[in-house]
Amino acid sequence: MRSRLLITVLLILFVLPFGLLGLLAVGEEWRFPEVLPPAYSLEPLRGLVAADNDLLGGLGKSLLLASVVAVLATVGGFIVARAIAGTRLSARWTALSYLPYALPPVLLAVLIQPFIIRMHLSGSVGGVLLGLLLLALPFATLLLGSFWSQRATEYEQLARTLGCTPRQALRRVLLPLAAPLLRTTLVQTFLLAWFDFGLTNVLSVGKVRTLTVQVFMYVGEANAPLAAVASLLLVLPPMLLLLANKSALLRKP
Amino acid sequence: MKPIKPIKPILPLYALLVIGLPLAGLGYALLGSVGVVGPLAEGFTGQYWQALGHEPGLAYAALYSLWIAGASVGISVVLALLLVLRAQATLQRGPLPGLLYVPLVMPALVVAFYLFQLLSRSGWLSRISFRLGLTNSLEAFPELVQDAAGVGIILAHVLLTFPFLTLLFQAIYQESRLAELGQLTSTLGASARQFRRRVAAPLLLRRAAPTVLLSFIATLGAYDIPLLLGRPYPQMLSVFIITKLQRFDLRELPAAYLAGFLVAAGLLGLILLLLRLANRSRIEAG
Amino acid sequence: MRVSLLYFLPALALLTACGAGEQAKTPDQTLAQTWPQIEAAGKNQPVSMLMWMGDPLINKYMQTYVKPEVQRRYGIDLQIASSQGAQLVQMLAAEQQAGQPSEADMVWINGETFYQLRQVNALLGPFVDKLPNARLLDLENPFINTDFQQPIAGMEAPWGNVQFNFIYDSARVASPPKSFAELPAFVQAHPGQFTIPNEFTGMTLLKSWMIALSGDPKLFQGKFDEAVYTKWSGELWKVINQNKRYFWKEGRTFPEQLAPLHQLFANGEVAFTFSNNDAEVDNKMNQKVFPATARAYVPLPGTIQNSHYLGVVRGAQHPEAAMLVINFLLSPEAQLKKMDPNVWGDHTVLNLAALTPEQRQQFQQLPSRRYAPRRESLQNLALMEPDPEYMTRLFKDFRTQVLEK
Repeated sequence: MRSRLLITVLLILFVLPFGLLGLLAVGEEWRFPEVLPPAYSLEPLRGLVAADNDLLGGLGKSLLLASVVAVLATVGGFIVARAIAGTRLSARWTALSYLPYALPPVLLAVLIQPFIIRMHLSGSVGGVLLGLLLLALPFATLLLGSFWSQRATEYEQLARTLGCTPRQALRRVLLPLAAPLLRTTLVQTFLLAWFDFGLTNVLSVGKVRTLTVQVFMYVGEANAPLAAVASLLLVLPPMLLLLANKSALLRKP
Repeated sequence: MKPIKPIKPILPLYALLVIGLPLAGLGYALLGSVGVVGPLAEGFTGQYWQALGHEPGLAYAALYSLWIAGASVGISVVLALLLVLRAQATLQRGPLPGLLYVPLVMPALVVAFYLFQLLSRSGWLSRISFRLGLTNSLEAFPELVQDAAGVGIILAHVLLTFPFLTLLFQAIYQESRLAELGQLTSTLGASARQFRRRVAAPLLLRRAAPTVLLSFIATLGAYDIPLLLGRPYPQMLSVFIITKLQRFDLRELPAAYLAGFLVAAGLLGLILLLLRLANRSRIEAG
Repeated sequence: MRVSLLYFLPALALLTACGAGEQAKTPDQTLAQTWPQIEAAGKNQPVSMLMWMGDPLINKYMQTYVKPEVQRRYGIDLQIASSQGAQLVQMLAAEQQAGQPSEADMVWINGETFYQLRQVNALLGPFVDKLPNARLLDLENPFINTDFQQPIAGMEAPWGNVQFNFIYDSARVASPPKSFAELPAFVQAHPGQFTIPNEFTGMTLLKSWMIALSGDPKLFQGKFDEAVYTKWSGELWKVINQNKRYFWKEGRTFPEQLAPLHQLFANGEVAFTFSNNDAEVDNKMNQKVFPATARAYVPLPGTIQNSHYLGVVRGAQHPEAAMLVINFLLSPEAQLKKMDPNVWGDHTVLNLAALTPEQRQQFQQLPSRRYAPRRESLQNLALMEPDPEYMTRLFKDFRTQVLEK
């Protein structure tokens, strides 16, 4: 009984957002005190395919940015974590990787902006990418740090003594071993980039209009329907990712 | 025998990117705060540092942020502990574990937007309560967002943090075989309550402490949520700094750089402290 | 000095995609060109424009009308991004300090941003005379040729002219306060219905109110006067703080943006909203954002009328293309379109006498301007913008004297 109540409460808590956002997306002239929209319009949704609408463009930009960040950070993190495991000062290096956590992304963006401008990267996808990597790379390094423990290096050694080339050792032994963790890292760094608003907004000077930047813009112009559409677009891919990841987990023994 | 040959330029490059760039930014902010760099820089001056004493804005923003972060993380920890210790059976089956993942896929900005639409005085709950006759006007509905105490901001953070902490605690619970430990203690005559209080909760908290502290630090610097759900005064730290940076008066810039420098330095100090604590407990543990 | 930088660059070369581009002209060389040369150089270039993007209709005008038109006419790819105020100045100044071409080519500015951009020498000009459509501009009008007490001197081209006004719902408020003097009594009689947005429009409200309190608009002409400011802003804070408890949310907080205030108004949470644009009431009613009973007026003794402008960035990578876009924006066609409240409702800066009779008639008989106060009636109620410092100080002091009290 109590457990059913608990589930109901959580269900409402976590499913309601989708319902309300959905209503906001299609509601027209929906003002206090109407509990439901007096009229419905598919205009904001139809606008998605219109040429002048940059919600889809934003979706594309967000997807591209987050994917590139995820791949670069995961690959980079894998390499850096290995290098860190190989030094004698590995505890210190791990500690350094925590530093970017201290700074809120938006503050980090403000601090590095003068340099981003000097690197000709202000307002460009490259600048945002660099800023996001600054967050994602240490994050990936920390996540993957646990992989390069004694065991992994021993396996690598073993593979080499059994006659594997370094490349074979990597492909046949290390990557399969690391696969679950790498997948987690990919997903996590993807989400980190996907969710970011503050850093992107500052470093892009409003030019790289990712979905989060657009949500904020529409909220600013009190355009609830478009803000809701953008929000739903923003939630959809991670939702799919979550479902896919779960099913992947279920298939594996 | 050295197992791995470190690839030479990788670590320095990594340090340059991850530490060098933020530290360079910190240095730039410091120079900006003493009037050496910046659009209207006129040479070295200590006036902005001196002005710090009689402008309580930053200190107030820091206190407000501490309150928000403390309340948000505190409530989240309590909720997560309750769920893991009191609803263990529910957590292991049914739709609950899956449900708890849902907030993990919601960006802070979306949660803030949603809560505003739900909880503002002209929001959905207010409309329902008006229709049900619970409130007879807009004004009769309590102020839940953009309120003085930051209830809206705290709610948004709790909504995002407690499911994550629940999943974390649950993972630790299973990994530490707390269920078996509970049975063991009960055969030794301890009550379930004693087990939860004396054994399980302290163990979960101790092991999750670094992550909990990290979420505390993250909430301290939160931007998206207070931007939409907060008031112009008091402001949380990130919003305070960005507002100062981006508003009309260019002469406010050095003060904004100063605030940015102090906050960044403070947070860096906090994380170093956290690392030291984590290290010490690791050494003590063996 | 840039040693640290040189160290960074190779490290990050992987991520950098800096196109070197061809040798750019100096600002003087750019300005020395004739219009045909400018046209030739500007065609088929991208233009990056920075503007305030807080209004959906304005954004739509730019995206669905201006963008395709300049593409069609000149092959120009107009990219619009959001930036304004100190953020904009800061960015342009930083680019200039670094001795770099700017990410922006043209900017939408006025008042304190114009002043600050000139202070850091970030504007290219004088360029307005170069534009063929500049001869159509109403540059004799002091409300157009002077931006917050500063002569525009060809450094920015007027784009639109607007006047601050009150918007109320005639279905809820039968007789709104006719003057600033009546405002306090009205607020006391209708608690919770009035608030001041803590942004640009709200500052225009405060300026107009402060000038009304002083009873003498001439005091606020010319350079910033500390004594005048201290005296009359003091009076203003006194009136506001005395009546604050009758404001929305008992004056304990104020909206940070205009759009949320419009929303509060639309939901009936407050009785008034404001606009710097006299035609906004039509614009918002046509969009069904405001109820059909919304009306606008200018309280006595008047409110601030000002213009907003377009500037070319000194470090622009495509200054010629930016000038082509600006010239198009000043064309009778683009100005007429912009003046239609269904599109934007921004009053033209053209001198109607300089237009053909046919064009003049189109401007004078815009069918969609229905509930906005008539322009002719506004002219006697128009106050000049005071020095930008008044606004900067009001903004700062509104925070310390009202918000934080």
